[in-house]
Amino acid sequence: MSVNKSTNKFQEILKNDSATLSFTDHIKEKYKVGWVNPSPCMEACPAGVNVKSYISLIAAGKFHDALKVVRERNPLPGICGRICTHPCETSCNRNEIDEPVAICWLKRFIADYELKHPMPKPEKIAGKRREKIAVIGSGPAGLTTAHDLALLGYKVTIFEELSEPGGMLIAGIPSYRMPRDILKVEIDYIKDLGVEIKTNSRIKGKNAVEGLIQKGFNAVFIAIGAHQGKKLNVPGEEDFVGFLDAVTFLRGVNFDKPKKPGDKVIVIGGGNSAIDAARTAIRLNCEDVNIVYRRTRNEMPANDAEIEEAENEGVNIHYLAAPVKIIGINGKVTGMECVKMELGVPDESGRRRPIPIKGSEYVIDADVIIPAISQEPDLTFLPASHKLNISKWNTFVANESTMETNIPGVFAGGDAVTGPNTVIDAISQGHIAAESIDRFINGISQQRVQHPTRKFETEIACNLKTLPKTKRAEMPMEKVESRTTSFDEVEFGFDEAQAIAEAQRCLRCGPCDECYTCVPECDKGLAILANDEGDCLLRYPPNFPIHENQNEILQGELKSTGKGTIKFQVNPIVPTVKEKLCRGCGDCVKVCEYGACELVQIGDEVFVSRINPDICRGCGTCVAFCPSSAIQPGHFTSNWLEFKLQNIKPKTKNVVVFSCNWNGSTFDLNTGKTNVIYINAMCTGRIETSFILKALELGADGVLITGCSTEECHYEFGATKFIETYDKTKKLADMLGIADKKIGYEQIPSADTYKFIESVKGFIKQL
Amino acid sequence: MLIDKIKKTNALACLECGKCTGVCPVSRFSRQYSPRSILTRTVREDFDSLYTEYDLWSCLTCKRCDEVCISNIKYSDLTQIVRTSAKDSGFHGKCSHSGAMELLQKTMTTEDLKQNRLGWVTDDLKISDKGDILYFVGCSPYFDIFFTDLDLSILDAAKSSIKILNRMGVTPAVMSDERCCGHDLLWNGDDENFKMLAEKNLEAVTNTGAKTILFSCAECMSAFKDLYPKYGMPVKLELKHMSQFIAEKMSDGDIELTDSNEKITYQDPCRLGRHLGIYDEPRQVLNGSDNFVEMKQNSKGSLCCGVSGWMNCDITSKGIQKERLKQAEETGAETLAVACPKCQIHLTCTKKDDVVKEKFDVEIRDISSITLERMK
Repeated sequence: MSVNKSTNKFQEILKNDSATLSFTDHIKEKYKVGWVNPSPCMEACPAGVNVKSYISLIAAGKFHDALKVVRERNPLPGICGRICTHPCETSCNRNEIDEPVAICWLKRFIADYELKHPMPKPEKIAGKRREKIAVIGSGPAGLTTAHDLALLGYKVTIFEELSEPGGMLIAGIPSYRMPRDILKVEIDYIKDLGVEIKTNSRIKGKNAVEGLIQKGFNAVFIAIGAHQGKKLNVPGEEDFVGFLDAVTFLRGVNFDKPKKPGDKVIVIGGGNSAIDAARTAIRLNCEDVNIVYRRTRNEMPANDAEIEEAENEGVNIHYLAAPVKIIGINGKVTGMECVKMELGVPDESGRRRPIPIKGSEYVIDADVIIPAISQEPDLTFLPASHKLNISKWNTFVANESTMETNIPGVFAGGDAVTGPNTVIDAISQGHIAAESIDRFINGISQQRVQHPTRKFETEIACNLKTLPKTKRAEMPMEKVESRTTSFDEVEFGFDEAQAIAEAQRCLRCGPCDECYTCVPECDKGLAILANDEGDCLLRYPPNFPIHENQNEILQGELKSTGKGTIKFQVNPIVPTVKEKLCRGCGDCVKVCEYGACELVQIGDEVFVSRINPDICRGCGTCVAFCPSSAIQPGHFTSNWLEFKLQNIKPKTKNVVVFSCNWNGSTFDLNTGKTNVIYINAMCTGRIETSFILKALELGADGVLITGCSTEECHYEFGATKFIETYDKTKKLADMLGIADKKIGYEQIPSADTYKFIESVKGFIKQL
Repeated sequence: MLIDKIKKTNALACLECGKCTGVCPVSRFSRQYSPRSILTRTVREDFDSLYTEYDLWSCLTCKRCDEVCISNIKYSDLTQIVRTSAKDSGFHGKCSHSGAMELLQKTMTTEDLKQNRLGWVTDDLKISDKGDILYFVGCSPYFDIFFTDLDLSILDAAKSSIKILNRMGVTPAVMSDERCCGHDLLWNGDDENFKMLAEKNLEAVTNTGAKTILFSCAECMSAFKDLYPKYGMPVKLELKHMSQFIAEKMSDGDIELTDSNEKITYQDPCRLGRHLGIYDEPRQVLNGSDNFVEMKQNSKGSLCCGVSGWMNCDITSKGIQKERLKQAEETGAETLAVACPKCQIHLTCTKKDDVVKEKFDVEIRDISSITLERMK
């Protein structure tokens, strides 16, 4: 791991979590980070999804925010959360320790979460511009382009040949892997943006594509996918009945009444389509289902988990076997002769080339053979006179940086260009196409967009070798016996606790969580950016509200750089002593077991307390225990507290949650009508009787304090001291007639966000 | 108008003689503090600087300066007026314990307050809801919790007072809905909450049917006697400090004290002494033995306990407290009698301060507790 100097400094500035949190506390708007080096997961994602950001938001329980981050670069989170090949997990730094973070399943979790806790519908922007765009095909590439262009204000119409939108997602992927309700929700989201989807609308005729432009569309995007199964090219293929290519087979099952193709089935191929076909055949009660694949399991392109599940469900996979000829009687298939293979030297794909072993031929009985070797685009919609460049693989030729075809205004992408490929690649091309179409319409030249090829080395805050191994969450699944007879989804998805725990496994590679909460969006004229030196720069806002206790509330200082920006310097956490107020009583010396507080003689019998910044850990317990309020904390001052408590709203149920920095969170808890105000201190030791009374005085209906247990306290004595404060406060409150349930205290294991959420929910409930 | 209120304190008659600063206990231990300078700035209406001035909140309103002023200026009242105006403009001083005490007081203004404040009343104490004599407890039950560490036995004053009354055949009324008297809030400039507490307390007092109210706390008594009437809420009942009640009973022969060799001295609370002019009765009570001794500064010239209204509890406060404890030690007294829980808290705090080099052995006890112990 290389240590990047600039990120290191940035980290130094933000080394106190409370410092970063206080940004959010002050500027209550949304933030966007001007980023430096992406984490390896983000770097690996073809669609450029900021993976670390949404994983950290999940870890903090901010599920809706996490979903918003995904949607910025991927309009199909629930779909990708199920069937993505997740290159992000392959590049995850956790691979070096144990297993990658289950990024894909976490994405699925937040998409599923939205089904139960819907967010407001997106604002309809499409139609703000006059220009119209036609998209042919409603698969992932087409949907992504339509989504992006709709957000830019264009009127987008998708033409779909089938009766339902979704392309290969609906035609080729069985419902046990891709539930239709998720598909519908995500497509509906795109429709809500204003995209029109015309189903049962095959583009055809004499000038199929160019005709759209003549009809008034300003640009056309061809995203028809690759739905035409390729031939096996073995003897007998043309002679017998009983052939059904995988895509046709799956489309038939997905769109028409599912029908058993035969008793004994052979599927040929090793990709996800082959597995899908085989597992579908199992569900249609076929007795004997075989897959024939010419290499070993290691080379099989299908997802590992898929192969494993197919085997669990009873599919016989014949590795290192290739078809030789088809055998049949009376014009009907009865079996297939195969030959055993061995692996030779690697071919141009990097995989070892399979070579037949002479004399190893054997026969597998079958009445149906389903080739799933590959697909190509079905070009039959094009008239013979079309002028589009087509490759020798029957795909559209398009510039991979812009998705332009040889005809101006006509773009192509997805499987139609690449041949059968992954969903996430199709989404990636959809983005590229949308950007190019936007440039085309605005008359901006299509510069070659360089896709980053350089690899960033991302800094990890700690030494990988010393990190404890953790177990990757397992996907809860339907039992094998009950699933082989049904097309219901096999994987159930994580629950909240699992999701948070799994997300907390993320190493947060790079300098910060990229949680998007430290830089506000510009509608309020506020934005924090990190410059090359790693300083946080606040763009100087024209009407920045200057508060009397500005620096205390920001917990830092704003300094002008003289260049139209102001530099924000976070206050040191270490407290200072106001000599004028100090009684020299030495209570702080007694409280601080680190020995950071000491009494210094400044006059005849006059002592004042001084805090040694090198020894101080910043827990703030001495501040809480200073009888004369002489110790001024760098953070969490009483003025700041008052500022935070201003969020108590009249005529609402208000709950104030004081937490220590190590287990609190400011997630968007679904608390109904309750207004929850989260206030983080470094340690519960900092929390005083007066804070709790103040919150109640200002109208809080309940005050909950959460912190580490005395054993786990990050400051050794902070939690112990708080227990004293708490006991005292409870007694006072009882005397004041404040109901017992109104003040609560829970010790929570460090960073156990789920427990924290449960505590807050439980506290609100008992109120 | 603010200036009109200021004029009523006679502030404009200041001759700048400096006697106030000369006797001021705060000035004695804090070189920067000068009542004269604050008065001058007030008269010049230099409020912006005064509101943010630390020393505006340092004044103990102990009335030491009022006593000596040749122009009869009420400096304590002036302080209160400027503080109220500062508070109205959004400024406030530094309350010790991050304002926990102030918050307790404010919380007690709650309309439907239902306190559990009589937990300390043990079975041997006979009290009632109603009665001719009402014993006003004050905030000691709260202090007892908040200052656990000081090991004050602060409720001894109330317990002893009730026992004395019981011995006299009196079952005093003690209110379960008693609230803070509002004294501190008013002196710190919070008129509004003071008035609310006053109203609520007077209503509760009326419900007991009492004709006399007895106090162990000098501040509570000062609130009822001086402050409530000043804010348009005259109290027509007889108001007595426990020391007055005991002195009266002693002269009637109802209370007789045993002789004791214990040397005793007495801390005049500013509220009881200079504010209410009660100097003799506590001395009558303590003079039962010949061993009563006066400290160097006593009666009208008495030294305050160092903190008022929980504000600016700093090194100056500690200096005053140390000086007072020294004066007590110098008399050779074993017991320092107090007539206000605040004196007891503040002096005990410094007595128990490890950093202070001198060790003060003098026992700080409330006057009722001492009386009860010596009652025949």
